[in-house]
Amino acid sequence: MEIDLVGESIKFMILGMTVVFVFLMILVQFMKLQAYIIGKYFPDPVATPAPTSPKGPAEDEQARVAAIIAAVTEFRKSKSNSKG
Amino acid sequence: MKRILLAMMIALFAAGAAANASGTTEAKSAVVTQEQLKADEAANFESKSVGHLLVDFFKETGIYAMLNPSPDVVNGDGEKMSAFAQSWGRAIMFVIVFILFYLAIAKGFEPLLLLPIAFGGLLANIPIANMTGPEGMLGIIYNMGIANEFFPLLIFMGVGAMTDFGPLLSNPKTALLGGAAQFGIFGSLVGAAALSQYTGMVDFTLKQCSAISIIGGADGPTSIFIATALAPELLGAIAVAAYSYMALVPVIQPPIMKALTSPEERKIVMTTSRKVHKLEKLIFPLMIIMLIALLLPEAAPLMGAFAFGNFAKESGVVDRLSNEMQNSLINITTIFLGLGVGSKLQADKFLVPETLGIMIIGLLAFAAGTAAGVLMGKLMNRFSKEPINPLIGAAGVSAVPMAARVVSKVGADEKPGNILLMHAMGPNVAGVIGSAVAAGVLLSIFR
Repeated sequence: MEIDLVGESIKFMILGMTVVFVFLMILVQFMKLQAYIIGKYFPDPVATPAPTSPKGPAEDEQARVAAIIAAVTEFRKSKSNSKG
Repeated sequence: MKRILLAMMIALFAAGAAANASGTTEAKSAVVTQEQLKADEAANFESKSVGHLLVDFFKETGIYAMLNPSPDVVNGDGEKMSAFAQSWGRAIMFVIVFILFYLAIAKGFEPLLLLPIAFGGLLANIPIANMTGPEGMLGIIYNMGIANEFFPLLIFMGVGAMTDFGPLLSNPKTALLGGAAQFGIFGSLVGAAALSQYTGMVDFTLKQCSAISIIGGADGPTSIFIATALAPELLGAIAVAAYSYMALVPVIQPPIMKALTSPEERKIVMTTSRKVHKLEKLIFPLMIIMLIALLLPEAAPLMGAFAFGNFAKESGVVDRLSNEMQNSLINITTIFLGLGVGSKLQADKFLVPETLGIMIIGLLAFAAGTAAGVLMGKLMNRFSKEPINPLIGAAGVSAVPMAARVVSKVGADEKPGNILLMHAMGPNVAGVIGSAVAAGVLLSIFR
């Protein structure tokens, strides 16, 4: 028996569009839910980077010191090389 | 310490002995085969004159093969090729790949994929070399990562690592626009079915119709993934159609968008979106994966790779991995994916009426997806508290970030200074999720 392509594909379309929409609607609800929960318990979006910020400059400082030491060492080495 | 040294010495000795042993056996067998080879050659070789050699050589050239099609020539899959495919077909394919080169280089049509695909097509049509066979370069690449649907997943991983879900999270309901645009897939599925049932121009099976319709998702890797799973014989045409039309988004979409909206609607200014918490972005990929696991496991390969890439990016602690996915990994995969898909541009596979049908349906699919997205945008604008510019619905076809840019441009043309880009990115990335879900549905139907 010949398959009714158009009939079958219309059924697929109904199934497919329904699944896509239901999936995205559930996703939307979950997104709203998580935004609500996170907004309630972790109120300030800017607050999260805050704990890292005191650490940031400290690390920066360390990195700068390390860079200076490295540069000085390199400088001395090159000096001694040119002398030798 | 002593013990370790002892153990190492014993191991070294053992290894040396093993190497020695294998060396002697190889040498022995080599002597035997060399004698055999000499005997074989003496028995079978016939001396030829230089003229004879030249004639034999000429018979091995591409010119001879194209001028004298033989009924015994087989393509990469071991099927007999028609005389037309061997002669004129190859010549026409050479012209087609040169057109593709022109489009990729001079017109900037998705060059990253179109150029490797076209070059693969060029190599695939070289006579005699049989590069698409299981032992040929293109055949190896195809079997390595396309036949088993692996490369599109790697690409998806990289795309995930490049995607920022911030705009979607800040305005979740715009995800529905990305859903509406999937009508491009299912509408063109009906279109493909009608074309083959009523016109007789082409004769597609249901699986083939589904594989073609996924072009409407405007998502290259998803198209290749589904085409390989459902109708590998149409892969070349489907991939070329998908990437050409993605490149043509700035040409296809604006007229449809303008036809379906009034100037007032296009001038709508959307309220600035709220700031998204870092945690929301981190949890989002996990949320998608859990939903996929519970509702649609068939989409797990695509969404799994996508969510992994995104999670690696948003975690912020594995920058090396996420950078790798966004750069080297996706670039290497793109090379292989392009060449492998190009191997399906053989004359006998590509120069068929079906290709024309695929091109027509692909165009309809893009148009239908855009139209459905815009109409959904109008509907949502009517019922939403905050104003929604219906134009952003057009970005619901995936084609990230091209479609969102087009929306922004059309919006700015109508009302200078109205920047819709970030608002359009929401439906745009939702479109990627939507087309992966649609792909999962199609796969589950034919499971």
